[in-house]
Amino acid sequence: MFKIQRSRIAAALATMLMFLLVPKAHAVPSFARQTGMACEACHTVFPELTHFGRMFKANGYTLDNLKQVRDITTERENMLVLATLAPLSVMIQVSQTWLDRPLPDGGGSTGHSQTSTTGFPQQLSLFYAGKVAPHLGAMIQASYDNASGSIGIDNTDLRFANLLLLPNDRGLIYGIDANNNPTVQDLWNSTPAWGFPYAASNAGVSPLAATQIDGTLAQDVAGLSFYAMWNESLYAEIGAYHSAKQGITNPITGAAGPLDGSVSNVISGAAPYARIAYEHQWRRHDVEIGAYGADFKLYPGGGSSSPVPLSGPVNQFRDVAEDLQYQFIGVQHLFSLQATHIHESAQLDASFDAGVSSNPNDTIDTTRITGSYYYRRKIGVTVSHFSTTGSADSGLYPSGPQPGVITSADSSPDTRGWIAEFNFLPWLNTKFSLQYSLYDRFNGGGTDYDGFGRKASSNDTTYLLVWLTF
Amino acid sequence: MAYVLIKASKLMRYLLLAVLTGTVFSVSSVHAANVDLESRIAAERIAVGTCAACHGWKGRSIAPKFPVLAGQRANYLLSQLRAFKAQTRGDPDALGYMWGMAAPLDASTMAALADYYSRQTALAGVREDPALLARGAQIYQQGDSAEGIPPCAACHGMGAAGTDMYPRLAGQHIEYLMKQLRSFQTNLRDVAIMHGVAQGLNEHDMRAVAAYLQGLGP
Repeated sequence: MFKIQRSRIAAALATMLMFLLVPKAHAVPSFARQTGMACEACHTVFPELTHFGRMFKANGYTLDNLKQVRDITTERENMLVLATLAPLSVMIQVSQTWLDRPLPDGGGSTGHSQTSTTGFPQQLSLFYAGKVAPHLGAMIQASYDNASGSIGIDNTDLRFANLLLLPNDRGLIYGIDANNNPTVQDLWNSTPAWGFPYAASNAGVSPLAATQIDGTLAQDVAGLSFYAMWNESLYAEIGAYHSAKQGITNPITGAAGPLDGSVSNVISGAAPYARIAYEHQWRRHDVEIGAYGADFKLYPGGGSSSPVPLSGPVNQFRDVAEDLQYQFIGVQHLFSLQATHIHESAQLDASFDAGVSSNPNDTIDTTRITGSYYYRRKIGVTVSHFSTTGSADSGLYPSGPQPGVITSADSSPDTRGWIAEFNFLPWLNTKFSLQYSLYDRFNGGGTDYDGFGRKASSNDTTYLLVWLTF
Repeated sequence: MAYVLIKASKLMRYLLLAVLTGTVFSVSSVHAANVDLESRIAAERIAVGTCAACHGWKGRSIAPKFPVLAGQRANYLLSQLRAFKAQTRGDPDALGYMWGMAAPLDASTMAALADYYSRQTALAGVREDPALLARGAQIYQQGDSAEGIPPCAACHGMGAAGTDMYPRLAGQHIEYLMKQLRSFQTNLRDVAIMHGVAQGLNEHDMRAVAAYLQGLGP
């Protein structure tokens, strides 16, 4: 029984890692086509948003300066306002990754992997990003990913937005948002979905632990939220997420659902999400401080070979996070700082009962601090520190019986390190990046984290990326 | 001496050109009474919902990249919106931001926006670079005949509040003013009179006059 549970948790972890490995990457020239404005209006350097970019997003991506196909009634009611050009764009990422030390061959073979991997493409995305109708906009991304070799849905954000004029010419933007990744609807680059690293190798080794709100549920859920922003400064949002699995069929009907016990990590009911933020501008400076969080109750479920009913005890993950962003946008020099801290308390009733986790309660704390400097939006350097610490749990962070890089000899999730990135943008929509990721600690250890002599630094990666959006 | 005379005659040409250009500007003017209620409501929504993201609440721009619009002359605002829409104003941020912004605006909305911002209270001046203020005041009020720089006040008024023909400059951000002067110099922003004026300004004098103007209140 325990063996089965182990294999199930391994499968769940592998799924989780697959999502973590999918890089985030988003800059959308179709917005420029639609608005007639250059990238710099909305971005410092893509994908980081300026204040105007945040307002464009809060207003539902609807600012549209193209010619329109129209239909009206005799009462002058608009029946159709459709741009003559669809807001489409393409993004391609071509990359080369060098891992510091090769990995053991899979399948128990005695050899080892190559250290370098070419992604051609690593990712190719098609976006529909822009106005759908008055007050209604969308950013829909479909991506080909070389790891899966298939095309799938990527970050998606549909929103309705309107403006309420308040006395003394103050404005209140309010809206409804539907999205498939917690925080993808957020306006600042200090929250997970749009945070640094904006692009990362998918040919490296990812650590075992991550909080649920930190990309773990990306493209696996559907959220509906209501938001309001007063005077372009005070932002509040409240919403809920429900599971919306991709590529899963019900074993009996062969249809897209309903989900049953053959599926893992299914949200019980709806998981509440909340966000509050305050932004203040003075001269060339812009600072934001905020908090966000969610409360996910997940049925562990199981694989198709070992279904577990979607009823009874759940694992509850309470994520509470704070974030901070500072931007300086000068004529020649641009500087930005993003920081977030996420605390997750997990009450693992389901996993503990099933013997999958060794503790009934675990915590994870993740902190990221990123500083970027750009000269004339052309040459830039970014340095980021990341750290995850948490409860040791031999069930969730197991050691392996043989050399394996995604294991922990200490049953610890602790991982920390640095990312340094150099960027060159000959044009505002083309980025050449050289990124180095360095681990001080990986899955709890520095010099022998897997119990078979692998160092944390063996997972260091050098990543060369050509990122074109058009 | 002869050089000074040549410079002085150049100066006269600019002034003559200024008068002629002013006559052209004055042909189409904005008066609040001409703005219908529907356009006024539409303009207010655009100003609060869109323009404010860069130009600030009631046109009181915070970031020095974006010009203060509060209290700006309506005729000037209207002529610039038309130039953005016609894509004839070609300085960098006009291309990057305003060509797109102005594209969907019709004539009555542009007039209503110009009227909206002209009715807002102008900002108090912000003094920076005090060491430059005296030189800035000298250039603005008297010009520099040796350098062929006419007094800016001749067109923009002694208090730089602008006229029906020329824009208000008082209280404008240094950064924005300097960017415009450089754009006039290089003809990216193609205004013959200002091209002539800006040609005589070196970087130091440009900053001096911009600092003086930013320090002027309503």
